[in-house]
Amino acid sequence: MFIRILLGYVIGYLRIEVTGYYIERFINLCNSNHILTWNVKKGKEANLFLNIEVKKLREVIKIAKKVKCKVKIKRKKGLPFIINKYKKRKFFAISLLVIIIGIVISSSFIWNIEIEVENEEKGPEIDINQLSKEMEEAGLKTGQLKSKIEVKDIINKVRLKREDIAWMGIEMKGTNAIVRIVKATEKPNIIADDEYSNIVSDKEGVITKINAQKGTAQVKIGDTITNGTILIGGWMEGKYTGVRYVHAEGDIEAKVWHTKSEVINYKTTERKETGNEEKKYSIKFNNFEINFNKGVSKFKIYDTMELEKKFQIFSNFYLPISIKEKINKEMKEIEKNYTVEEAKNIGIEKLQKELDDEIEDKENIVNKNINAYEKENCVEIFVTYEVLEKIGTNEKI
Amino acid sequence: MKDRRNKINKILEIPQEVYSNTPKIIITGFDEMIVENFKGILEYEEYFVRINTYLGIININGFDLKLENMSDDDIKVIGKIESFDIERLE
Repeated sequence: MFIRILLGYVIGYLRIEVTGYYIERFINLCNSNHILTWNVKKGKEANLFLNIEVKKLREVIKIAKKVKCKVKIKRKKGLPFIINKYKKRKFFAISLLVIIIGIVISSSFIWNIEIEVENEEKGPEIDINQLSKEMEEAGLKTGQLKSKIEVKDIINKVRLKREDIAWMGIEMKGTNAIVRIVKATEKPNIIADDEYSNIVSDKEGVITKINAQKGTAQVKIGDTITNGTILIGGWMEGKYTGVRYVHAEGDIEAKVWHTKSEVINYKTTERKETGNEEKKYSIKFNNFEINFNKGVSKFKIYDTMELEKKFQIFSNFYLPISIKEKINKEMKEIEKNYTVEEAKNIGIEKLQKELDDEIEDKENIVNKNINAYEKENCVEIFVTYEVLEKIGTNEKI
Repeated sequence: MKDRRNKINKILEIPQEVYSNTPKIIITGFDEMIVENFKGILEYEEYFVRINTYLGIININGFDLKLENMSDDDIKVIGKIESFDIERLE
């Protein structure tokens, strides 16, 4: 019964009022004609309220005539009536249709590409701009039809080009393409133990210790070496055996120079924020941009920050519309005059900090060398650290 | 013939109201009453409903009585039922 009433809502039903004296007969006749009625309620006078299906109205009127009752329609309910109501509002219906079609069509494109690097902290950083350019060449770009994207093909193309990617996966979620990348850890050029090799310097410095376990030492303590000098040769000379090639092995320690230089002017200008800022908005449709404000800033000197936010309906359903926010921050230029001593101190402090960050083992720092050359309007500062380090890498002969 | 069918039905334990026109009255709480296998409505007022069945007449007294979900042989009376009585057909 409940299902029939629910069905009645879909097909539409009427609440009618029947007025007359033979109401009981009317109900009985309805029942015997298999007309479903529900919510039958007696009014205060000789009237009756009841619900019937739309289709049965004609039969009901016939029965009412038979028992000399009057029928009045009180309320129309159900889907057909609601649809009828909106039929007159054509523009509304059309625009609703257009929006729905627009969403359906735009959902078959890619509108956003996210790049996630899984092991961010390991190894050298991946240039995401470069990577997205390469992906664009391979066929993954915003505004691309989803069905035309061949994930395997793109992955193969990009991985062929780049060696620093160990694994790459592309996942489509709505209009969002999530690219996951695992960086490859850089492998040292391993040379098998049974291959002949030299040990070659990879830094500049002065040898302090050399100990050849296999092969012949080519340099002495105190020798100055540059990048590429052979330290231990991968051959041995015997009186009777002649020249024999080996896989060179040994420890080499050298004083390595880390040098940095900086020029500091006595007169400098520094930039500082004044705290004033202005915001400008614009709307971007894919590549077409509409500005709301004038392009020129009212500040003389300023820094610009740009924020872009894409419209999204659900968490993974992006639309090709984005709002751009430009923040201009006003800057002030302050002139500063240093004395010679001040300039020197600033430069030295800066360079020392840089070098300290660069060198990991502070205990191995042997010597610090600071040179400053005063000139007409600036100071040139050189800071050199001498650090004891193990050097040398194997290289094939 | 009819007797034999009755016997089979009794052996199979089919409910009486299914194979015959015997009315079945179900009262749930004091506000709802379902009468199965009814014949017709004799009188209907807000305070009084008279239902005809094949065995006799059921009179229901109460307030705000409504007829809900009427199908070919079921009727549901909703409202504050005060009392009801049965008139047997002789």
